[in-house]
Parts: sequence; structure tokens; C-alpha cells
Amino acid sequence: MPDAAARPRPFALTMGDPAGIGGEIAVKAWRRRARLELPEFFLLDDPARIAGIARQLNIEAPIREVDGPAAAAGCFDTALPVLPVRLAKAAVAGKPSPDAAPAVLRSIELAVTLALAGEAGGVVTNPVGKAVLATAGFKHAGHTQYLGELCGPGHRPVMMFVCSTLRTVPLTVHCALYEAVRRISADLLRHTAQTIAQALEIDFGVSRPRIAVAGLNPHAGEGGLLGREELEVIGPALERLRAEGLNLIGPLPGDALFTEKSRQHYDAALCMYHDQALIPIKTIDFEHGVNVTLGLPIIRTSPDHGTAYDIAGTGAAQATSLVAALWLANDIARRRQRARAAG
Amino acid sequence: MSAARIAITMGDPSGVGPEVIAGALAALPPSARTGLCVVGDGAVMARAARLVGATLGFGEGCGAVPLVPVALADRATIVDGAISAAGGEAAYRAVARAVELALSGAIDAIVTAPLNKAALHAAGHRYDGHTELLAKLTGAKGSFMLLASDKLASIHVSTHVSLLEATRRATTTRVLATIQAGHAHFRELGLAEPRIAVAGLNPHCGEGGLFGREELDEINLAVEMAKGEGIVVSGPLPADTVFHRALKVEFDLVVAQYHDQGHIPTKLVAFDETVNVTLGLPVRRTSVDHGTAFDIAWKGLARPTNMLAAIAYARRMVACAG
Repeated sequence: MPDAAARPRPFALTMGDPAGIGGEIAVKAWRRRARLELPEFFLLDDPARIAGIARQLNIEAPIREVDGPAAAAGCFDTALPVLPVRLAKAAVAGKPSPDAAPAVLRSIELAVTLALAGEAGGVVTNPVGKAVLATAGFKHAGHTQYLGELCGPGHRPVMMFVCSTLRTVPLTVHCALYEAVRRISADLLRHTAQTIAQALEIDFGVSRPRIAVAGLNPHAGEGGLLGREELEVIGPALERLRAEGLNLIGPLPGDALFTEKSRQHYDAALCMYHDQALIPIKTIDFEHGVNVTLGLPIIRTSPDHGTAYDIAGTGAAQATSLVAALWLANDIARRRQRARAAG
Repeated sequence: MSAARIAITMGDPSGVGPEVIAGALAALPPSARTGLCVVGDGAVMARAARLVGATLGFGEGCGAVPLVPVALADRATIVDGAISAAGGEAAYRAVARAVELALSGAIDAIVTAPLNKAALHAAGHRYDGHTELLAKLTGAKGSFMLLASDKLASIHVSTHVSLLEATRRATTTRVLATIQAGHAHFRELGLAEPRIAVAGLNPHCGEGGLFGREELDEINLAVEMAKGEGIVVSGPLPADTVFHRALKVEFDLVVAQYHDQGHIPTKLVAFDETVNVTLGLPVRRTSVDHGTAFDIAWKGLARPTNMLAAIAYARRMVACAG
């Protein structure tokens, strides 16, 4: 196997909301690249802005403008590569503005284009402000759906959260809780479970993956006493998927699913709604959670925190989750390379 | 001050109740058993004591744990680890007797061992569980479920209803009442200013109305009204981070909007130590936070850790009430 295959192409790290902490954590991560053995990455951002952040926080991080991933690979050891995506108006930390929206979106689009072309190893996204993008006319409920669209028709992305000892997938994501209840369907369960199983095998190196499925209602409905979705939709859908060969456990009561003992019995938990998937992740491992998108032709990870406007510009932001996101993107890239080489 | 008088109900005799009670009592030094009594069947409790290898008597006699006997019907139909009407009836009678004792002032608090809902129903007692049964027996209008451990405490706006119904119950009135109940409880336990966080119902607290409006239309107002009463309360806060913040001791109590929202993090961080406390009743009541565990009952596998925590919490409630 050629040695070059062992080293993925540089990862494209997006700007995120420039009023948030994205630039700061990028600079902080790069500064510790050697000690943390970070894979190569480049920012798609405004070089002047990034240089300003480094200066303001007194972080020694020379910025190098690059014209593409190849140039980034060449300089990553000595400077933080930035592929210019310029802001029309300087951003103010902690003060989100719709003025930044075109650059924020351009950064994501460019990253996806480079990843689809195989020039970037994958996309790592910094957090965006959904409310401010919405006021600028952005119609998607979040990053994940938008990325699915950028990758072309036919893709149904699935969001997974990963921390040190747990992987969870929310069946539904950014919608009201009552709407999440309404959206549960056999088709969605099938697509999501199949996508998880495939990703666990290929991207996470788990053979014969076991997926635990959480119930929607308390005590997983307790035989219909506390809600009927388990009996009428979830249970029958799981039965059919088992018949097709998926190793599924459940539906199990949500509150019993995430204890240390329960976690030994599965490789990922399929949850019915956003908070059911995120509460355990953030309670177990607040600092190192990663959001990874399954079911896309490109690799995409992201720190699982938000824009943190309240601490932006203060220097208090921690890069731990971004670092975990870069590591995970690199792990997945290597596994896919090996699979291709063996293929 | 004299020792708190606490009645421990036996629970369903086919489940793990008797053995966790016997195990807990055996783990306590004799002096720490003062004030405790068991409401249940003497023969069942004696067998449980033998199972856990404890030299523990129940009933009269020097050093024995006082027993308030309840008649056991159809003893022969009660089988280890199986649902039976007789088991449900026994569990029901123990709770009913304990409530009588509490309402008459003969005891200060009740600690309940688990009962089985299907067995309870088979015996003709159609309650959703302990809490509903206790509410009925005491004539209470409403009650609140608090899960408490040293690490994390959560009180629930709604509990044993479908998730869809839970979204309808996140009203200003209910949220405010839940904040008030939690506040009053922690004040009783001696915290001058309990710090309370209210979790949102929707992802990201609805993100300004994009993903649901209950925060804007209902929960915000409840928090403002509680603040107006002088309660130290924040929120609504995103549910995925509020428990982490509470664990880092930013808050003493989290108000959870629905069952799993409060149960998932609490059981995750303190599986064996979490006590279930019912607030809003005219009697003090704590409970273990596990079920009858029929699959491991009477095999000597059940650990009494949780029962010990439930007894300790009841004692704390009584002591703080003076």
C-alpha cells in the first residue's frame, strides 16, 4: 500500500458565525497541533480577521493565505493556512449580524466543493447561528440538512453525536418536541438505522454493529399505558429491520439506556429526539462531544457546541470539542482509505 | 431529638423489595435501626433476611425490627419473580397501612419498596403506580416527582404520561407550581436560597420560536413569576447542557419538563444513589428508584444501596422539619 494513502488530504474548517468562537478555537487548536497530533487542516475564513484574533489573544499563530488544500498541506507545520473567504463588514465578537451570512454560507459551500472534488479530506464545520442565518433568508433548519443539499440530490444525512464512551443518533433533530413525536415513521427509522449500521462498519470499524433503540415515551410506553408509538410504529419497524439482518435492541426505556452498564451492550443508540440523544452525551463528556454527519459522500464532523456568543472574544473558549472533531474526521478518512485500498 | 419514625413498606413480595429492605437493615448498625419499622409480612421478611445472610428478627423481641403486619391473602399463589394478584394485594395493603400510620401521626415518613403495576391491577387496584395510589389514599390534589442524589436533583413538570401529552402539560401554571414545590422542599432541607434551573421543552429552548413556542408562550412567564416571588431561578435553559451545569454545582435543582428529560441524566450520574421523593402529599414519602426486578428477585443479587439512600433521605427530611 502506498504510504501517501495513509495521510488524508487537509481538512476544510469552515468559518462558522464570525461573532462566535469558531476563529478562536481554530487558532488555539492549530497552536497545539504537534502535541495533539492534529491532522492538517485549513480555515475558510477572512485572513485579516483570523490574524486579528491571534493578535488579540496573544497566541503565536502566523497566518498563511493559501489558494487551495495542496498549498495548505505544504505550510501547515509552520503557519495556519487560511483560504480567503472575506467578510463584507468586520464582525464583532458576541454580536451576530446577518451581514456575515453570505460569507458564512460561502465558506461552507466552498468546503463541500473541495471535499467532493477530493482535494480536501473532509469538512469540519464551526458552529453557526441559526437564528441570524434565518433572518438573512437561510431556509434550512441547520448545517446538516444544508450539507445534504450541497452534496446533491438523493442524500439523506443523519446526525450522530460521539463522545468517549457513547454514540447517539437523534431520529429527528431541529423541530419542536411535539413535531418530533409526529415525525416518527417506519421509513425514517429504516433509513436512519441502515445508515447507522453502515457507518459503524465502514467509518468506525465496528463489525456486526449493535444498535440500541430508545423508546419515545416514559418506560418505552409501558405496554401502551404511557403512549402507543412503541407498539404501533417503532416496535413493528424494528421487527422488520431485524428480519433484514440488522442487530437492533429495543425499544428500551430512555432512562435505562445510558447507564455505564447498559452502554456495554451496544455500539450506537438510536434516539427519538434531539435532547434524548444530546443529554446523555453532554452529561457523560461535556468537553469532547463531536457531531458527525452520516450518509453523505463526504466526511463531515463538527464540535457539538454552539456559537457561544457570551464568551466570544474573551479568550475563554476551549478547543477540546473541535480537536475531537478533527481527530474523528481523520480516523474516518483513514478507515475509508483502507477500505478503498482493500476494496 | 428522638429518632425519626419511619415505616418501610415491603412492596410486592415476589420482587426485590423484601431482600433490599433486609439487606439495608442488616447494613445499618443496630443503633441506626432505631425508629425504623417494616410494614409487611413477617414470614416473607424472615425469609429475605435468611437470603441476605442477616441475623435479623422482625416483630417483637429484643433487637428485632418492629413489624406492622399486613395480612397476606392466597400465600400459595405468590411465586418468586412472577406477577400475582396476591402479590399486588399485599403491596397495596402495606402502602394503605403505612398511609394510615402517617396520617394519624404515628410515623414521620414512609419509605416504599417497589410494587408491580400489573400485579396491582390484577388485584383490582387501578392506579398508575405508587404516586397515584398515595395521592388517592391521602386525598392530595397533585404531586411532584423529585429524583434526588448528592450529584444531581431534578423535579418533573410531568411524569407518567406520553411524550405528546407531556408537551401539552408544559404550561405556565404547572411549571410555576413545580418550581414552587422544589423551592419549598429545598428550603425545608435547610438551603436558604436554593438555586433552581428550568430546562426548556424543545431543542435549544425552541431557538427563539423556530423549533417550538412553549418556552416563549408558557415557560418564560412561569420563571418570571417565580422570580417575582423571590425564588432564585434561571431559565428556560437548553436541556442538553443544563444538567452538566447543575453537576458542576451551578444549580441545586433542575426543573425537567418531562420524565426522560430528568431521568436520563440523573440515572446516568447516580444510578444506585438516586432516591425518588414525592412532594405535594400530606405525608413524607421516599422510594427506591428501581422496580420489582422480577428477573433477579430472590436470587440474592439485588443490592440494598438504593434502599439505604431512600431511608437516609427520609431521615434527612424528618430531621430538617424538626
